[in-house]
Amino acid sequence: MKAVIRNTTVADRLLFIFLIAASVAGIFISREAMPKGSDVIIEIGGKTAYTFALDTDRTFSVPGPLGVTIVEIKGRKVRVKEAHCHNRLCEKQGWVARGAIVCLPNRVVISVGGKADNTPKGIDAITG
Amino acid sequence: MKTKVFLLFFIFLLALPLSCGKGRPSIYKKTKPFMDTLVTITVVAGSDEQANRTIDKAFSVIEQFGDKINFFSDKSELSAINRNAGATPVKVSPDTLGVIERALYISEKSNGAFDPTIGPEMNMWDFFKKIRPSDTAIKKKLSLINYRDIIVDHDRSTVLLRRKGMLMDLGGIAKGYAADLALANLKQNGIGAGIVAAAGDIRAFGLKPDGTLWNIGIKNPRQQSEADELIAKASLTNKAISTSGDYERYFIEDGRRYHHILDPKTGYPAGRCRSVTVISDSGIFADGFSTAVFVSGPEKGMELVREAGSDAVIIDKDGVIHTTPAVKGMVTFESGH
Repeated sequence: MKAVIRNTTVADRLLFIFLIAASVAGIFISREAMPKGSDVIIEIGGKTAYTFALDTDRTFSVPGPLGVTIVEIKGRKVRVKEAHCHNRLCEKQGWVARGAIVCLPNRVVISVGGKADNTPKGIDAITG
Repeated sequence: MKTKVFLLFFIFLLALPLSCGKGRPSIYKKTKPFMDTLVTITVVAGSDEQANRTIDKAFSVIEQFGDKINFFSDKSELSAINRNAGATPVKVSPDTLGVIERALYISEKSNGAFDPTIGPEMNMWDFFKKIRPSDTAIKKKLSLINYRDIIVDHDRSTVLLRRKGMLMDLGGIAKGYAADLALANLKQNGIGAGIVAAAGDIRAFGLKPDGTLWNIGIKNPRQQSEADELIAKASLTNKAISTSGDYERYFIEDGRRYHHILDPKTGYPAGRCRSVTVISDSGIFADGFSTAVFVSGPEKGMELVREAGSDAVIIDKDGVIHTTPAVKGMVTFESGH
């Protein structure tokens, strides 16, 4: 080992240090590029009430002015299993992997991945 | 000498990976519920950190404003005004005064087609439970609807509703005003491009990282399927866009559609349009204005739009589309419309 080091030039050593540094940097850069673990955020009346990990299956109930909303997380998707608002639009929305399920009458908002991105491709926002 | 050259080269190579990737602007988007709807803020920022920090600050501005004008909260300044109707003027903060002044301006410009004193009529409807008031009840409350009975004292920053039983509802204009506040806050914090969308009230500014305009979809008022969601796409920036439609909150009874945009003169849902999208340089001529145009109908509504120097897409009750000339350069309609 000592012989190997003795046989390298300064340039060799600098290159070696650079390669190590670049590899280490690469770990951090690729980690940033990876999608982070997603959360399911439940807001009631505009305030965050619960946060759950998307990768843990569970069923739980969320209280609201019009009654309890049953929410299910399974296979990295979320749905409203049972709602007690009048039109039950939130139930009809079914399983959602990204975006949000909203029950406006019950003031419950379930956001997946922290980003409620339901816009179609090529569209940045929708009016109406 | 060689060592020095290698040293310099080595430092250069080390600096390369550290400098690339950081600071390249990207689009970031976050959504949170406020004012009984979802507010989405999109920014072009150099990092996650900058995006989160600036978006959260803008959300905070919207939250604080929303609390002041919340019709359903006893603690809001708006509720204090409503509780003291026919009694005492209520001192309010600058933002509350600002949104009320904007509401009055639009009421006057539209000759009452938009009127924030619509509260007593709105209160009698429940679009989720499909409850509508009787014709007698509607007629009875009409006398309480008159924007001219909102008395604003600018020097004292007070607002008084002249008659007991009057109720101000700022729902038709608050989201857009909140979007304007958020927009100003984002710019103040160094964001040069983005979108603030409070439900359908949108402010777009700057350009995307690739230098292109923002694409804003306009909803189809008679959407049948997911594929049918949009009727048009507007490509623009530095504009305020607002849509009022009869498909947002409604129910159908005996073949008749009852929706939430009431005509202040009759107390019944306005029937001349299905949706109105107003595109304006200023937020003042967007939200309350889209409501006013909706209530006024395609002809009178178009006059209002022209007077304001704005643009509009009006879909009338029969589904016929009316547009201002400049819309052709901004908006492309989906096939079949």
